[in-house]
Amino acid sequence: MIKFTLKRLSIAIPTILILIIISFLLMYSAPGGPFTSERPLPEQVLKNINAKYGLDQPMYKQMFNYVKSIVTEFDFGPSFRYKDRSVNDIIAQGFPVTLKYGTWSFIIAVLFGVSLGIIAAIKQNTFLDYFAVGFSISAQVLPNFVMAPILVLIFTLYLGWLPGGGWEGGKIQFVIMPVIALSTSYLASIARLTRSSMLEVLNSNFIRTARSKGLPKYKIILSHALKPTLLPVISYLGPAFVGMITGSVVIDMFFSTGGIGLHFVNGALNRDYSTIMGITILVGCLTITFNLLVDILYAWIDPKIRYDS
Amino acid sequence: MIVLKDKISKLSTNLSQIDEIKGRSLWHDAKIRFLKNKAALISLITLLLVLLFSFIGSVFAVWSNEEIDWSVLGDISTMGYPSFKTGHYFGTDELGRDLYSRVIQGTKISLMVGIIGALIAVIVGTIYGAVAGYFGGKIDSIMMRIVDILMSIPYMFVLILLLVIFGRSIFMLFVGIGLVSWLDMARIVRGQTLSIKKKEYVEAAITIGVSHFTIIRRHIIPNLLGVVAVYATLLVPGMILTESFISFLGLGVQEPNTSWGALISEGAGTMRYGTLWQLLFPLFFFVVTLFSLFFIGDGLRDALDPKDR
Repeated sequence: MIKFTLKRLSIAIPTILILIIISFLLMYSAPGGPFTSERPLPEQVLKNINAKYGLDQPMYKQMFNYVKSIVTEFDFGPSFRYKDRSVNDIIAQGFPVTLKYGTWSFIIAVLFGVSLGIIAAIKQNTFLDYFAVGFSISAQVLPNFVMAPILVLIFTLYLGWLPGGGWEGGKIQFVIMPVIALSTSYLASIARLTRSSMLEVLNSNFIRTARSKGLPKYKIILSHALKPTLLPVISYLGPAFVGMITGSVVIDMFFSTGGIGLHFVNGALNRDYSTIMGITILVGCLTITFNLLVDILYAWIDPKIRYDS
Repeated sequence: MIVLKDKISKLSTNLSQIDEIKGRSLWHDAKIRFLKNKAALISLITLLLVLLFSFIGSVFAVWSNEEIDWSVLGDISTMGYPSFKTGHYFGTDELGRDLYSRVIQGTKISLMVGIIGALIAVIVGTIYGAVAGYFGGKIDSIMMRIVDILMSIPYMFVLILLLVIFGRSIFMLFVGIGLVSWLDMARIVRGQTLSIKKKEYVEAAITIGVSHFTIIRRHIIPNLLGVVAVYATLLVPGMILTESFISFLGLGVQEPNTSWGALISEGAGTMRYGTLWQLLFPLFFFVVTLFSLFFIGDGLRDALDPKDR
């Protein structure tokens, strides 16, 4: 187990470094500097600004400094657009918001998805099963940017129950729609995965043995069938996490919740390179860490994985 | 000798009929199975209708996609509604342009992005995966490690970073989508190649001294086509989703061009003013097309999956 974890770590750490370097190179190769604008600054001023931000140094040195400040101090440098804010300030402002509705979406997608899938598998070919299958097929074509307007249309414009946007420190009525919009398609995918995996497990020999021993049904499902059922679901958690973090950009834009996605898109529209780089790297690190945790969890549940590698 | 002319001619016709009986290939079987799948067949017809709409729909248009109808501008919500009388079958958008023509334009671009994106993924992914799987050993592990690393980076953020740095254009969108979309394909193809590599005909080809390149081209890739075809049809909706996501954020296709994502975004932005048709028409085409593509992909997978036989 320790060997497995170390091996995974030895992939994850270079990946993070490569991500940082790729983003740096992308930014470095961008045409025009961050301070070239339609009204050119006097040459001396431009020179001074470049010197202040260290942009007059050779490329490898800039890269080294950038990587070093991120790795050692977790400092993403100053924003190129807002003079009074650093990228860290922007992240500190937006991240708690994203974290809050993101965590809720993730929990809801996993909990409800797995439950719905299990119920559908147990009650195969009943109304409940058809409902679950129909729902998970329809949700495939309802990504967050389609769900969000539909939800606002129903709950804000017609019923008037929920506010159509804003955050207000994360009051419950402001969180509900972002969470539903973000989690629906993943909930459906998890339900579909759980259902087919559960059906396969329920047909296997050890379940038949358990049944012939006369164990009660709930016990068979909870203590025998659940663990192998969840394996494919766990391997889906990584992609689901990436999808949700990407989806948060749409949620932030559409519901004006003010998470990091909003800053990302604003940065992208304003060519605020350091901000979008910082957010990309942060999101990348989160994803890689999460994937690492999922891998370890998977190996912990399934011994085949940890002995094979 | 009495020649039974009629018998001989009968025999010859019989013989020629025997010649016409063809062997049932994998593709022939697959076609029969696919045509039996009602959902897939209906989806195929729907998709063809959408394609037809995008090609000849403009014949029926009264307004072009660039003309502004000055008579409704300024009072879109009461005058710009869908009507045959004004020639705006789907109503007008916020700038008084004909939504029918805009939807046709968006459909064309979205489908084009989907198909070209999938094509890039198929070509790059197949070659990459086949090379990695065929040569195996060190080359394989290095190539697949690269894929692993690229996969754990949240690609949407990197894609947006690319678009910001190199300018937002359809061409850049293709390059960006192409860069990230081949990863899954490469993995699947590699897995298949590993099993094909051990087949006798490949061994035979190696023994008679066929070059590696020719073996990959003549023996490996043709046998991969089934899997590639299935996965490619599932890639198209994925590409459309990616493009729509980016265009929804306003970072993808730029005016005067448009796509489903951009149209949905416009419609979602204005639905508060009572101009619902601006959201619902693009949404309808988006959902219907994605539904069809998913069902066709599923149908193809069922048709080509040897497990069923």
